[in-house]
Amino acid sequence: MQTHRPTSNSQLLNHVVSRRGFLGNVSSGMAGIGLAHLLSNELGAQQTDWREGCGMTHHQPKAKRVLQIFCPGAASHIDLWEHKPALEKYDGKPLPGEEGVRSFQGKNGPLMMSPWPFKPAGQSGKMISTMLPYMAKHADDIAFIHSMTSKTNTHGPGCVFMNTGEDIEGFPSAGSWMSYALGTANENLPAYVAIPDIRGEPPNGKATWSNGYLPAQHQAIVLSNQQSIRNLQVPAGISAREEIATREFLQTLNHKHRLANPGNSELQARIAAYELAARMQLSAPEVSNLAAESESSHRFYGTDDSNKLKAAYARNCLLARRLLERGVRYVSLYCASRASGVDGLLNWDAHKTLKPDYERHCPVFDQPTAALLTDLKQRGMLEDTLVLWTTEFGRMPTRQEGTTGRDHNPDGFTCWMMGAGIRSGVSYGSTDEFGRRAASNPTTVWDFYATVLHLLGFDHERLTYYHNGLDRRLTSVHGNRIQEILA
Amino acid sequence: MQRSRSPIFLTLALCFTADVAHADTAEEQAHFFRKHVEPILVGRCLECHGSDRIGEFDLRTQTAAIEEGGESGTCIEPGSPDESLLYEYVSNEQMPPEDPLSADEIATLKRWIADGAFFPSEPLDPFQVTTSRRAGLDWWSLQPLSSAPPPSPKGLPETWSQNPIDRFVYAKLSEKELQQSSPADPRTLIRRITYDITGLPPTPKEVASFLSTCDAETDSPNQVGDQAYEALVNRLLASPRYGEHWGRHWLDVVRFGESRGFERNEIVNNVWPFRDYVIRSLNQDKPFDQMAREHLAGDIVGKGNPEVEIGVAFIVCGPYDDVGNQDVLQIAQIRANTIDEMIRATGETFLGLTIGCARCHDHKFDPVKQQDYYRLYSTFAGVFHGNRVVATEDQRRELAKKKRPLDQTLQKASDQKKKLEATILALGEQSADKIESTWRRPPVDRKLTVENFAPVEARFLRLVSEGIEKNPHATAGYHIDEFEVWTAGESPRNIALASAGSTAEGKSRVPNDFSDAYSASLTIDGQFGARWLAAAPTLTITLPKTEQISRVVFSSDRPGAAGVSEVAGFVCEYRIEISADGENWTKVADSHDRLPLNENHRRRRLAEAVITADQQQQLASLNAKISRTKSELAKLQQLPSWSVGTYRQDNGPFHIFLGGNPQRKGELVTPASLSTLSKTVRPFRLAQDAPESKRRHALANWIVDLDNPLTPRVLANRLWHYHFGTGIVDTPSDFGFMGGRPTHPELLDWLARQIHTDLWRVKPLHKIILMSQTYRQSSDFHDHSASVDQQARFLWRFPPRRLSAEEIRDSMLQVAGKLNFEIGGPGFRLYHYWQDNVATYTPREKVGPETYRRSVYHQNARAAPVDLMAEYDTPDCAFSSPRRTVTTTPLQALTLMNHSFTIDMAETLAKSVKQDDLDATVRQVYLRVFSRPCDEQELASASLFIKEYGLNAFCRALFNANEFVYID
Repeated sequence: MQTHRPTSNSQLLNHVVSRRGFLGNVSSGMAGIGLAHLLSNELGAQQTDWREGCGMTHHQPKAKRVLQIFCPGAASHIDLWEHKPALEKYDGKPLPGEEGVRSFQGKNGPLMMSPWPFKPAGQSGKMISTMLPYMAKHADDIAFIHSMTSKTNTHGPGCVFMNTGEDIEGFPSAGSWMSYALGTANENLPAYVAIPDIRGEPPNGKATWSNGYLPAQHQAIVLSNQQSIRNLQVPAGISAREEIATREFLQTLNHKHRLANPGNSELQARIAAYELAARMQLSAPEVSNLAAESESSHRFYGTDDSNKLKAAYARNCLLARRLLERGVRYVSLYCASRASGVDGLLNWDAHKTLKPDYERHCPVFDQPTAALLTDLKQRGMLEDTLVLWTTEFGRMPTRQEGTTGRDHNPDGFTCWMMGAGIRSGVSYGSTDEFGRRAASNPTTVWDFYATVLHLLGFDHERLTYYHNGLDRRLTSVHGNRIQEILA
Repeated sequence: MQRSRSPIFLTLALCFTADVAHADTAEEQAHFFRKHVEPILVGRCLECHGSDRIGEFDLRTQTAAIEEGGESGTCIEPGSPDESLLYEYVSNEQMPPEDPLSADEIATLKRWIADGAFFPSEPLDPFQVTTSRRAGLDWWSLQPLSSAPPPSPKGLPETWSQNPIDRFVYAKLSEKELQQSSPADPRTLIRRITYDITGLPPTPKEVASFLSTCDAETDSPNQVGDQAYEALVNRLLASPRYGEHWGRHWLDVVRFGESRGFERNEIVNNVWPFRDYVIRSLNQDKPFDQMAREHLAGDIVGKGNPEVEIGVAFIVCGPYDDVGNQDVLQIAQIRANTIDEMIRATGETFLGLTIGCARCHDHKFDPVKQQDYYRLYSTFAGVFHGNRVVATEDQRRELAKKKRPLDQTLQKASDQKKKLEATILALGEQSADKIESTWRRPPVDRKLTVENFAPVEARFLRLVSEGIEKNPHATAGYHIDEFEVWTAGESPRNIALASAGSTAEGKSRVPNDFSDAYSASLTIDGQFGARWLAAAPTLTITLPKTEQISRVVFSSDRPGAAGVSEVAGFVCEYRIEISADGENWTKVADSHDRLPLNENHRRRRLAEAVITADQQQQLASLNAKISRTKSELAKLQQLPSWSVGTYRQDNGPFHIFLGGNPQRKGELVTPASLSTLSKTVRPFRLAQDAPESKRRHALANWIVDLDNPLTPRVLANRLWHYHFGTGIVDTPSDFGFMGGRPTHPELLDWLARQIHTDLWRVKPLHKIILMSQTYRQSSDFHDHSASVDQQARFLWRFPPRRLSAEEIRDSMLQVAGKLNFEIGGPGFRLYHYWQDNVATYTPREKVGPETYRRSVYHQNARAAPVDLMAEYDTPDCAFSSPRRTVTTTPLQALTLMNHSFTIDMAETLAKSVKQDDLDATVRQVYLRVFSRPCDEQELASASLFIKEYGLNAFCRALFNANEFVYID
């Protein structure tokens, strides 16, 4: 198979360093560039095999970066994206064959139609909920997958599964895999950033953006408009002058120590890491500075909205664009947070009162997300940015007994993709007439990520990392790419 | 891999076939088959021809192989190789694809067919032999321990001939043409070994004392004295710090964590006794076979002895899903996942076997059958996560004695109260008609409750709860989605709106991550979606100015979407009060003339209507007695309840789950040993109704059976791994096909045997390793050696290493003089924890002296990385971590430069060393931080820097220096 070479010398160098064993079993992470002067002649060595961490791919990629929007809480497929006329027709009637079935929280009542009408959108006439008027405008660009399935009906494992391909904790998320596979594109910024919602972390929190068993430099850096990168600030009381002098003094100590200890390239890597940290301290505040955006841009995203949740999410959307623009390879953007255990207030988990819950969530999500997509499109970034919209599973077509809400449903739900390499305006697969189970072209999380990796230039079966007995993959031992949604 | 076809091999093959040409008798044929044919069929053919997939040629049984054949008919014609498809395919190199058989293998098959194609009656076992793609029962790590004596390689120096380890290592060095390094100097060695055994740096005093005893012994500087060194080794191995440091290693291996993981990830506050047990056991040098038995069956071998029984927490100290699920398929799947976690942990920890890979099918790489996996499944089928009282018989008796009278008092008072309440209620029921006639208005309504009253001037208005829907005696915990206050007169207006300038106050449930989630302001936002969740009885509305009002309207579910669900639980009994100044309140309305919402509220009303003063007093005194007794009971020293799991007898039947799916049941299994080691260790098999505890005990005994080669090999390798940074096998929990191969197989077996010799105590083995010249080498770099063996796997030098996260943090505390050496007990936290349905962990920005203990006492939660630890590769305890990655990242630099902990430690160190004499101060810092004196040049540049920027900045720089975080 053909291997594609990186364009940046520093990426290659970074890799040569670790592959040649100069760093022993130490992963150099973003530190390699500091070694440039030492190892310039290493670049002469022509490599043809694919190697991780240096921008090389298995084949020509369509996408250079990924924006993954995650709506935790199990955003209802049949109330947002997949229109089910049968629910209107049979509203209040039992679900055939599964009358009173017990799902996650218990017994189900009869079928319940969506509280909002659906309307045809765009040229394609795709039926989209009227709760999402802004998103409906993008219908022609989206490839919907209406036949997603999950292994689990529980939020935490579900979110972890949707992000890592395994339903237990400890496995690397897709963003970490991308960082591992490609390394960083901008040495002054991390390869992978997770942007949590202002309402808090998603179910299973940090496990959804974990590097799992991959080395620590592949972890997501947590950054949002409400929360800056930890330990980025020079501590209060230390002047710029003292800071610079301390760093210089430290590097003098380190250089002297390195000369006395030849042959340990970890020491050099650590020196480089300190230099890089100093550069991150300069570039991270720049990328987070939303004041640099125009007023019209702020209005377009909705950062000035009187709904505080919407304004906060809009600011995070704007931040996401700035990160992608500056070479962050993978951005996980969350819209909503964990299960509150009280009501459907914190995320899309509308067990009891679907209508008021989603009348709260949809407006938060709709305009800012649509603005972000439009913005990416206008800047030409959709050409090589893959956008994923994901949630952990779907919801039952029935009402939960004694309520006007819906219980968890792992047997059928919607996710979608758009942008780089994606066929516009298609709907792949579907659930049955009520939305209960994936009926045509059932699709797994592994299929989903086999497709994502393919677009990124990787054969999902060959992107592996040894851990506790196996060469492990993002797609476990499964996955077929979804040809039908590829351009 | 291309097999050789050289003429020499052909000749050998001919001789070989000649030798076996006369396999005439059945016995000879059977022997020939076992010895020569079976390895070829199993090793080269069964990978593809070893299943009953339809239409495919199955080589496992006589019937399938000889009689049935494949799609194109029979493949073997006994007696006629040339008419046999099998022979045709192998001889024209069509099979096996890409990797044809060698000439002698082809000749063997030809001879076998020619002689009649003998086939044994029992099926061939694809696990018999190792192939290029998988390990068989002949895999190296499954073989009995070798008893090869330490070698005596040519040129072995005298100093390297004393310790058997050195002889093995030297032999390997010679073989690789590598040169061992010179001995490390005393200063390097004491720093190395002190970190290795205790996880802490030596104090300047310890260094000085070691140096002076070495000097006295050897009479030359820079040379380690054998006796001084041995004394040092003995001192360190006896130090309680040893158990803390090596306990941390073991806790990594057994995936010990103090939160449950998964969605709720609730913190576990009662499993720290297991951590203390590990530390204590290591410090006592408890024999490992005993420890293994305690880990798997502590409840049996340590019954009535809490210090031992706690060992069994091993089985349940991993993550598990406790969210609760009503879906029957998911319940079965979650249970299967939970037991899977126990199986994996057990297999990897003790045996270095990735048994978990045999959950859905036979292991792809190692000889572990799916039956083996489900044998362990049935072994653990009765184990559940949860708390259990772990106490001695005496403790139990004593508590029962103290509790009995209090229980009796409580029972008596409760009975009296119940009786009294019944009497009062009966009285109420007698005059129910009269009382009920005063309830003229409809009951409160979640969707809309209205109170009209005579127009009155008000600036403040409040709703005071006297009882909520689900509990007449509770006054908080209700919801309001909107609360309106209407003006009197012609065109009434709702003036209780935030947009109109009103404010609402009332205590609410406050989640830390989203404090406004249920705030009182939601009652006046003009919207019905979100609700105030009352944490106290009162909601107070402040109007923008004093106005005439005559009506309030409120609800918890205005749209009527919630039905009867508790998400909109409402207030039931209340009063509405107004005030001009916010201090003096006047009632304008209440709920007392409404119909009660339900029977509980009705009874409360009746009772309140008829109760006499005397009864009131009796009731009050009974209530007081009850609460007093309860608090006395609470004050009694409770028996410790620890997270050690609970056990239930489960008599099966136990099945294989086909494809790992609990709904697809395959053949029956019972608790038994693994077939993987059936050739080496005496197997056991229990009945499906064998007592639950006996199953785990039998497994533990089998694991530590002296014939089991895996357990001591894996253990010896773990010790080696932590001493040298890399194990003899570099995958310490995977001794299978996907794991590493031993660099020194004979040495590994020698070490494993030594563990048996020392009756499973490991301190003697530590000592042998530490006393070896191999360990005492310098870490000096040699170009040539590095070009052959970059990572020093063959130990031509001592491999330098970076300190672990725990070592870095503990060292900073110790160097700054702040390390609190308190042993054991509940852990400390470097994060904020809160629980609001699910748990959230946020690293603390500022950490105080309450955290200045050794890092092993940190309450490590799952999926809760803390910068000070996780940046330096402390693993998430989701899995077992048999080895830690070592990464170098800019985030590490940011954390160690900027975290308040560094700033605090730098300042503390500076304070503790500061003297008038700057030079002396600098010297002292160097001794403490780097365990060495500074040279004149260092002294000069440090003095210059300190004069300009201060001692704190200097200490901060040193904590970040490579020399501080690396050891040679």
